[in-house]
Formats: sequence, structure tokens, C-alpha cells
Amino acid sequence: MSMIKKLNLSDAAEVSRFAVLLAFVLLFVFFSLASPSFFSTANLFNVLVNNVVLLAIIAFGMTIVISAGGIDLSVGVSVDVASLAFIALLASGSGVGIAVCGGLTAALIVGVLNAVLITRLRISPFLATLGVLFIGQSVQQIATGGGQPIYLVTGEFAKLFNAIVRTQFIGLPTSVWILVLCAIAVYLLLHRSVFGRYVRAFGAQPGVAWYSGIRVPFNMSMVYIACALLCGIAGILLSSTVRSYVPLSGNAFLLDAVGATFIGTTISTERRPSVIGTLLGVMLLAVVKNGLLLIGWNFYWQQVGIGALVFLVLALSFGLRGRAH
Amino acid sequence: MDDQTQGGKTTRRRASIGSWGIRLGAISCFAVILAYFAFTAPGFLSFYNILNVVEQSAILGVLAFGMSVVIIGGGSDVQTGGIDLSLAANTGLCAAVFATTSNAGYPVPTAVLAVVATGLTVGLLNAIAVVRLNILPLLATLAVMNVVAGSELILTQNTVISVASEFVSGLAMGSFIGVSFMAWTLIVFTALMICVLHFTGIGLRLYAVGGHPEAARAAGIGVGRYLTSTYLFSGLCAAIASILLVSRLSASTPGSGELLLSVLAAALLGTVFSRRFVPTAGGTILSTLFIGFLANGFQLLNVSSYWVNGVQGTLILLVVAATSLAKPSER
Repeated sequence: MSMIKKLNLSDAAEVSRFAVLLAFVLLFVFFSLASPSFFSTANLFNVLVNNVVLLAIIAFGMTIVISAGGIDLSVGVSVDVASLAFIALLASGSGVGIAVCGGLTAALIVGVLNAVLITRLRISPFLATLGVLFIGQSVQQIATGGGQPIYLVTGEFAKLFNAIVRTQFIGLPTSVWILVLCAIAVYLLLHRSVFGRYVRAFGAQPGVAWYSGIRVPFNMSMVYIACALLCGIAGILLSSTVRSYVPLSGNAFLLDAVGATFIGTTISTERRPSVIGTLLGVMLLAVVKNGLLLIGWNFYWQQVGIGALVFLVLALSFGLRGRAH
Repeated sequence: MDDQTQGGKTTRRRASIGSWGIRLGAISCFAVILAYFAFTAPGFLSFYNILNVVEQSAILGVLAFGMSVVIIGGGSDVQTGGIDLSLAANTGLCAAVFATTSNAGYPVPTAVLAVVATGLTVGLLNAIAVVRLNILPLLATLAVMNVVAGSELILTQNTVISVASEFVSGLAMGSFIGVSFMAWTLIVFTALMICVLHFTGIGLRLYAVGGHPEAARAAGIGVGRYLTSTYLFSGLCAAIASILLVSRLSASTPGSGELLLSVLAAALLGTVFSRRFVPTAGGTILSTLFIGFLANGFQLLNVSSYWVNGVQGTLILLVVAATSLAKPSER
């Protein structure tokens, strides 16, 4: 509530912080009026489960990396290899516990690889994660003979996947609870821990962090490993939702995750990423996608619509702030 | 890197030896890989094959120059630096515009004019977002990329539009003194870029704008105008590349957006060939040809296409790592 107390309408920079929230509310009201099926429990539930959960978990990983002043273009690879290992282990008859561990380990390898390239070999995050993205694409093509999906459609697997993502627990499916747990964990890690303070110091003043005696290589490694692990969780949820492993499907999340995180930075005066901001960015993208679909725009126009709306929101937020300076 | 008065000379000397090592490291990596192909792949070093690589690299090269200019003008910071994510999508839209106008029976000059206008409009949109509205380039061009990619899909309905005209086949097949027009485009473009970026005041001021905008503004450079023109230039590059793309395939095809990663790789890899890790015309063309030669070498060696991306990624990391190990500590 302190946010509201601080709000001073004459201060454009302060107002600009609420541009995204305002846009979200306006769009929500607009779609509710324009399409009768938008504001229904079933639809909002569907948006939450299908559009928000996966993107939000990946975007939380991106939020940690962007807080530390870096970027991770290989999030899609972490998602895909986790999904591949998880499904391949299940298909070969392993138990669900081993399959989940295998999926997370695969993602962990991607994170460690990024960490070594960035902190030991001192390659810029953009190039290092771009290289890992190229390698990850090849690994998947080689492993699947050029991109053959692996489907697990028999009854016992259906039951298992339902247990992972669909089982209701206090009114919400498990996947939503996993999202809530991830959000709380990343919030504590980033905003309430010493590690989080270091991470944000890297982003704000890398030189000062180094001179202050913070173990930059170690902590920076943890940043990329944490991001990869979150993507691994998303990968396991993704393959449980679609009951299969589809090669190269994780890359679709990359630009949305970057977009959501940076949209989220507009709610802070210093333009820093935050868990709340990222969640708001993800929800904005999800509502726009679903809303445009429900008012009858086809896929091509949806893409234009999302781009234009995000552009307007950013223009409003950054434009107001720019004038205030 | 600023050195103290005492021992400043040796520090500077060491730094310059280090930076020489970096460039030599990158160039020798490049040379070793080419030598490997030369010895193992039949016909790799033949004049015809080299020309073939130059020709195939033309589209990537033109786009990489567009990206390089944006990175030079916007600075190379990972998050806040200049970048144009809409470049590849813009190429796709321009190709679609070229194919549609050509098929609608408009004469070639009109179609080319439409393509250039499209490319520049997208560039202008980016420029307004970045320069006027102060949106981060990464974010602004991402939003524009969505709009542009969607527009391409609306225009083509996600189909291949084939184009058959004398202009297109002439551009794809024609040659001058034994060198095809595609290759000439890249050669002339490279020469122009080297001259403008490294031997004119415009290039010098552009590097100043990217290196230290406040200082550039204090020195009386119109920073906004320079930034605007970098995005307009990358839009122009997308237009030129789209015409090459359509003539090469005799069609506009969906999926040009996938070029983005290669373009980024070419422009960023090029930075290791410069002393201060900024994009240079020479570095960009070297890394573009490097990527082209890699793809070509794998083809000649009959390596499965599944491996190409991975080996390409590994080699790029290898080249960059070789240079960064020689890099003197920045902190």
C-alpha cells in the first residue's frame, strides 16, 4: 500500500510506473465487454493454466539473470532438454521421481555450461548463451533423428501427467501451485536474501560489486544455474501438459520471457526487474493473447495486435518518464 | 583500464600486447579451421567454391552490417545497448512486399521503391521508439518485430509467393567479370562500409555516439540524429537483403525470422576482431565469411545438417574464448 501513498499525480515519472497496471486493467475490462466468454471462470482458469504458468516460471529465471545485468538466450534449450530427459526416462520405464530428477539434471547441465562460459571464459552473456542455443538445437536434432517428437499416450502415462499438472488442490491444479511456490522462492531469493542483494548489485554497479569483495564468479554462476533450473521445472510441466516431447518447442518462450521481464521493470522507479513486475508482464501478454483470440482475431492479426499493444504500453511508460527527466 | 602515472606506460604496453593477442587469437582460430577444411574437404579452396561462399553469404552479410551499425551507434551493453531484433522480420516483410508488388504487375522500379519504403518505415518506427520515446532498444525492436512478423503473415497468409521476372532471374544468375551480381553486392557493400565507418567523420562520430553519448553530445554531435539514422540504415539493409533473398529463391518464403540468430552471431562475433570489442566493418565481414565457410565446409565434408548448428556454436564459442583468455582483466 506504500505505493499508493507515494503516488503523486503531478509527478509524471511516478505515474509512468502504473502504466502497465492501468493497461492491464483497461484491457481486462475491454475484453470482458467485447467478448462474453472472456470474463468466465472457465476462460480465466484456462488462461492461468495454459498461458501464464509456463511463461511465468521461465520469465522468473530471466528476471534473476536480467537483475544481474546479463541475459539468457538459451532458456528454450533448458526447457527442451529437461522435457527430453523427462519424457525419454519415462518412456524407458523409469519411475517418475527419477524422470523428474533427470529432467532437472539436464537443465542443470545447460546452466553450468552457461556459467562456465560466462564466469570462467569471460564470454559476454549474449554470445555465450547464443552459442549454447545453437549447440542445444543440434543436440536435440541429433537425439531425435532430425526432430521426431516422442509421444506418451497410453493410459498409465495419462494418469501420471494428470497427477503432475491437473490434480486439484484447494481449488487450483498442481501446476498453479508449482507456479506459486516458484514465485515465492524467487521472491525470497531475489528480494529478501544476501544472494539477491549481490545479484542486484551486479546489475546496478558491476565494478563496485567486484571491489566490495563479493565473490562475483561464484554468485554469477548461481544466477545462470538458478535460471536453468526454473526453465527445467517449466520443461517438465510443459511435457506433462502436452504429454509428449516436441523438439525445439522451448524457443517460443524466449522473446516473451524477455519482453515480460522488461515490461515488469517499468513498475519500479529505478527500472529494475522484480518478481511482481514480471508476473504483471506475463499476465498482460497472456490476457492480450487470449482476449484477441476471443474477439475473433486470427493468429496473424494477434501477433500484430500484441506487438502494437506492448509498443503502446511501453511508449506510455517510457514516454512519460522521459519527459519527467 | 585507466592507468596511473607511474608505470602507466608498461600497463598500456601490456594492454596493447594483450589486444594484439586477442585479434591474432581470433584470426588464427579462423585460419586453423579454414586450413582444416582446405586439407580435408575436396575443392574447398577452388576459386569457384570461394566465390560460391561469398555469394551465399551476401544476404547474411548485408543484414550483419545493418546490425553492426545499430550496435556501434547504441553501444554494446548487454541490456541497454543498441540492437535491432526486428531486422530479420523486416527482411521477411520486405520480401513479401517485393513478391506481392511484382506479381501484381508493377514495374521493377516501383516494386523496389515499395520495398525500400517498407524497410525505412520499419526503421523509422524503431528510431521513434528508441530515440523519441526512450524505450530500451532490446524491448522496442522486440515489439516492432512482432508487428512486422504479423504483417508479413497477413500479407502472405503464411504461403510461399513465387516470383518470376527478368529482373529477379537476372540478379540471381547474372555475372560481371566472372563474379555473380550477388557476390558483387556484398563486395561493393563491404567496401562502402569500410570507407564510411573507418575513413570518414561520419564513422568516427558514430563510434563516439556509441562509446560515450554524453561526451558526444558535449562535443556537439547530434546524438539523436545519428541514432535515428542507424535504425533507418538497418531498415535499408533489410530492404536490400530482401531483394537478394527473393532473387535467390525466386520467391518470398515465410520463416525469414530465423535469420535473426545468425545475424546476431555474425555481428557479435565480429567484435572480437577489434581492439575495443566494438563491431567493425572488417570484423563483421570476416565473421560473416567465417560462418559461410563453416556451412560450406560441412556440406563438402557431407556432415549431417543436424550437426552444423552445434559445431557452428561450439566454434563461435571457441573463437570468443580464445580471445577472452587473452583479454586483460577489465576490473
